[in-house]
Amino acid sequence: MEEMDQAYVEEYKGHLVVQREGDGLRVLFADGGARDITGRSQERLLAEPPEQSVRGLSVEKLALDDSHELWVLDAQGCSLGHMKELSRVNAALEEALKAAEEANQAKSRFLSSMSHDIRTPMNAIVGMTAIGLSHIDEKARVQDCLSKIQTASTHLMSLVNDVLDMSRIDSGRMTLSEEAFSLPDLIHEVAVIVRPQAAQKRQTMQIEIGDIRHEDLLGDPLRLRQILVNIIGNAVKYTQEEGSIRISLGQRPAPDRGGGPAVWLDFSCQDNGIGMTQEFLSRIFLPFERVHSTTISKIEGTGLGMSIVKKLVDGMGGHIFVESKEGEGSCFRVELPLAVSPLDHKEPALPVGRSVLVVERRADRAGQIAAYLREGGLETIGLETGVDAVTRLTEAQYEGQMPCALLLGQELADMSALDVATHARQLAGPDFPILLVSEDDWAQIEYRAVRAGIDAFVPCPLFRSRLLGALSALTAGAAQAEKAMSGPDTDHSGNHVLLVEDNELNQEIAVELLEMTGVQVEVAGDGAQAVEMFRRSPEGWYDVIFMDIQMPVMNGYEATRQIRKLPRPDAGQVWIVAMTANAFMEDVRLSREAGMNEHISKPVDVDRLNEILRGQLKPKAPEG
Amino acid sequence: MQPYQEEYLDNLRQFAALSQRGRPGELTCEQYAARLTQDRAQIVRLGKRNMELLRTGLFPMLDDLLDATEEERRDVEEFSFRLYDGRTELDVGLFCQIHQALLSLARQKRDRAAMIRELYWLGMGRNSLSSKLVGLDLSDIGEYVTRMRLCFTEAAAYLKYYDEIEDAETRGYILRSRANMSLGQFRSPSEKVHMVKKTLQILQDKGYQEKAPELPWDRFIYLTHQNMTSSIAHSREKVMTPEDMADIMESAYIVYQRRFEEAGQQNRQPPAKSAFGYHAIEYYCGFYDLDHFLSKLEGLLDAADPTDYSSDGIYSMISLPAFYSQYLEQYPERLPQRKEYLEDIYRRILDYVDGYTGKSGNGALFLYLRQLSFTFVETGGILYGDFLQRLLLRFAPEVYRHSQIVGEAAQVLCGLIMDDDPTFFDDIDFVRDAAGPEEKRRAVLDYAMGCGQFHDVGKISVIELYSRTPRQWFEEEYEMARLHALAGRILLEPRPSTSRYAPAALGHHTWYDGSRGYPAAYKRLEQPARQMVDVIGLMDWLETMMSSARMYSGTQKTFEEAVQAATALEGRRFSPLLTARLRDEGTAERIRRAFDQGRQDAYRRMYEDARKSAPADP
Repeated sequence: MEEMDQAYVEEYKGHLVVQREGDGLRVLFADGGARDITGRSQERLLAEPPEQSVRGLSVEKLALDDSHELWVLDAQGCSLGHMKELSRVNAALEEALKAAEEANQAKSRFLSSMSHDIRTPMNAIVGMTAIGLSHIDEKARVQDCLSKIQTASTHLMSLVNDVLDMSRIDSGRMTLSEEAFSLPDLIHEVAVIVRPQAAQKRQTMQIEIGDIRHEDLLGDPLRLRQILVNIIGNAVKYTQEEGSIRISLGQRPAPDRGGGPAVWLDFSCQDNGIGMTQEFLSRIFLPFERVHSTTISKIEGTGLGMSIVKKLVDGMGGHIFVESKEGEGSCFRVELPLAVSPLDHKEPALPVGRSVLVVERRADRAGQIAAYLREGGLETIGLETGVDAVTRLTEAQYEGQMPCALLLGQELADMSALDVATHARQLAGPDFPILLVSEDDWAQIEYRAVRAGIDAFVPCPLFRSRLLGALSALTAGAAQAEKAMSGPDTDHSGNHVLLVEDNELNQEIAVELLEMTGVQVEVAGDGAQAVEMFRRSPEGWYDVIFMDIQMPVMNGYEATRQIRKLPRPDAGQVWIVAMTANAFMEDVRLSREAGMNEHISKPVDVDRLNEILRGQLKPKAPEG
Repeated sequence: MQPYQEEYLDNLRQFAALSQRGRPGELTCEQYAARLTQDRAQIVRLGKRNMELLRTGLFPMLDDLLDATEEERRDVEEFSFRLYDGRTELDVGLFCQIHQALLSLARQKRDRAAMIRELYWLGMGRNSLSSKLVGLDLSDIGEYVTRMRLCFTEAAAYLKYYDEIEDAETRGYILRSRANMSLGQFRSPSEKVHMVKKTLQILQDKGYQEKAPELPWDRFIYLTHQNMTSSIAHSREKVMTPEDMADIMESAYIVYQRRFEEAGQQNRQPPAKSAFGYHAIEYYCGFYDLDHFLSKLEGLLDAADPTDYSSDGIYSMISLPAFYSQYLEQYPERLPQRKEYLEDIYRRILDYVDGYTGKSGNGALFLYLRQLSFTFVETGGILYGDFLQRLLLRFAPEVYRHSQIVGEAAQVLCGLIMDDDPTFFDDIDFVRDAAGPEEKRRAVLDYAMGCGQFHDVGKISVIELYSRTPRQWFEEEYEMARLHALAGRILLEPRPSTSRYAPAALGHHTWYDGSRGYPAAYKRLEQPARQMVDVIGLMDWLETMMSSARMYSGTQKTFEEAVQAATALEGRRFSPLLTARLRDEGTAERIRRAFDQGRQDAYRRMYEDARKSAPADP
């Protein structure tokens, strides 16, 4: 066999067609023999000077015409095994070189693009600072400049953070923590970050929460958030305006990790954005790679995000998969093994067997709410419109069979949820729990919602614990009250309220209403008495003062002015509420000018009274 | 009734008489202006007296409603029904305040019959208030419609206990509430159709009828059919079931066919309103195409009598063109072939309005003109801006007067600014593109005048609040009045001759620093004309502070007090670039003179118009 090989080697030849160009030579053609004998690829043979390729080999040069030669390469002196090994090593080296060159090019591209990416927000910061300074008297203009500077700085900071993260991961300095965290909290934080970005591009972002059995988990919440924000953020970035993004989250059992139960957290994010080519897909997790698109004009980022995500997922022992089709969109799936926190599984106390009136137009969300309520032992009365809800509540109240709560969806079929809440509050009274399930940011709608009579907010994406927890907080008191047949639903026995009212019947009613909440009520018959009582009270004694306006001796405006003037710290802080039927705009203004904080009309609306108490009373230790 | 209630009602009557723009007769312009000023002063006095009466009489009583005697409660109810009885509207806002208090009382006492009654009347009051918000979409006024609808809904929910409720009056309130649930705008016509269908089923149910034979069932049913056919005629829904169509046609037949037959028997034409309603429903149900429908409408327009100022005459002369314009606005491809016809109609309307000499019917005339102002199609013939100016001058003289003054004062301030900084308004493209300094200055001053003249034009949507409220506003009324900024944009933006003034209408109540003001739709920093909007905002504020219109929301100020208050709000409410100029005594004096001059000019035009359009009083 070896002889045959030797004979083969002896006969083995290679051929190059070489062209003379000025003083130099250039390979026009190289056959397989030439590639084997030189151990070079066709591309390389065509690219480098032929003398360099054949150095050390036996070459016979035959002239073909004035400018062309045929070079015959002899394989003698090389064993075939040696030659093949040489060829393999050379090929491997060539691959490595190519990879190194590509990596180098990517780094060069990165540096060039980073310097551009850094320069862009820096330009904005410098430019907006200059504009701000030149319009320093125009507060609104300066505010606008500062807000743009803030945006640019935040972006700049994220660029720097990404680069630092990558460097930490590459150098093995990144460690993952293992701490207890709440999955609903984490998902809401993510939603708060990504929803406004999607809203800005008028994209539809749907977050579906599947079967989540364990909401308290162990892991690195910071890094988990980073993974989710990066993937969803990319979906937003690479999806056109008015596109859609669908995110889903689920769990399935996983083998125990270190003795405790564990789950696989399955996350997926699908968009109908620009998608990726198969070629790019193979490089997506390499650092410094970014999709280039003509349809999405300005894509920001370091190109490090997905690389960091991959490394974090790997570090957590999970998997990440991507499917994508150019022009159609992408789908990222992440599976992460996470241990269940020992703190998990706190079942909230609920009025089991009672019904909840759920008004929600979206069938999927209504179904999810009903399923969660069922798990909590509650029944659902499902409706879609505000008109039906008010009809149902009226009937229920008349029949003495009120549901234990009203759960309003964000968007009803016929009217705004907050307008329905306003009417339902008047109809059903102050103690009836009304909850709002909404994708909105609570901070944005809180003022209007509380004024409308909403007691609690359940944020979307909807988690079982959030929904049942909020219901429990509002109904547990009622359930206990039912058991005990009496007693307030909120304990404010440590709080003091001063009621300033000259009419005895009104005093009686207001005292009764206030005392139902557990507060200690003291009564002043006119403004002068009220000022005196406040002056004599220990500091911070009164939490709220309800002040009638028209009173003998001293009216409510004057009494308020005098209280505010008293030389003690709580004089400026105590919450004073005007209580009067005088409802002109000027009356509202006068009460504010006198130093009152708000204004309620008479006859006193119990809901409004409770709303104020809920907002102002902080629990205090009961006396004695 | 209590004496204070009688006095309040008497004041309302005086207020209404004073609010009618008087005729100059033999008066000179100066005498006429003096008389109008006197009338305004008297209006302010009446307003103040009314507030005093309410503060000393009504509000203490509402304060102690639980403590009130039966007689006092009866008096306050009677008083409320004199303010509004479902038809006559003297003070619906106060009516709602009283019935809100009575409803709270009924809820506290768990008095079911009283609750149902109060819910019905509160719903009626709210319907009256929300139906006055002309030209605004449900997205802007949804909360007011919802408040009304849910009052009726709650009262109607007691239908389930109809058998247990024995008094016919309460049963009547329940049924009327059920029918009234379909008043006002809906998100879709089919929502309304289904609600009315359900009501008709209830009203036609013999079981209900037999238990309360004394109720006017025929009238309930007829009005419900009428409700089915109203407000849906102008929109053609893409998806409508054959059952819906059959129901609408059935109602249309009952409402209109009867009138056609009656007219035929008396050998006269059916009323235009019925004829149009019937054709519109036929078109709505898809019986014929738009061209065919428009030609039917043209037939009715051609038959309108330009000397007839009866209710049907005004409808034919103004409301029908408003509908006609609306269809052409929705389907602009139909416009070119009807352009001349439309212009001719508009000319006839202006002549018709000029030819009106009576006092009664003024309200109906303006109501339909307001409707037309939202559907007016600008063809190049009659400019929309001119049409609006004539509307304000004739029917909303206080808004006209205020707008003229703001325009003239804004011109003066802009002129002073241009003297110092000719590039101040260069963010506005047509100012920047002006050929030379003189042209640029002219462009800015013209723009300032136009913005002033049109910034408050949206008030015609909520004019009742401004011209018919004989006291300060309640909080809900104030919220409604704020809608005038949005309404102004809706009027001005779509029409070429007025679109450039839309930012001033939208933004003149927003705060310079964005912290307060309204509406949220105005984004100051995104608006190239923001400097001009700032100017208009400041001039509007100063003029309002000095005007008797201030009665609605606060206390009147002198020019010096107003300037002082404006500079105190520097950088927050107002641009510091503008308030800084007010500190200069010379500038402040020139602006004060501009306010005076503007007032005189406005009165002169009002005088001329009044002389032209109305012969002397006998």
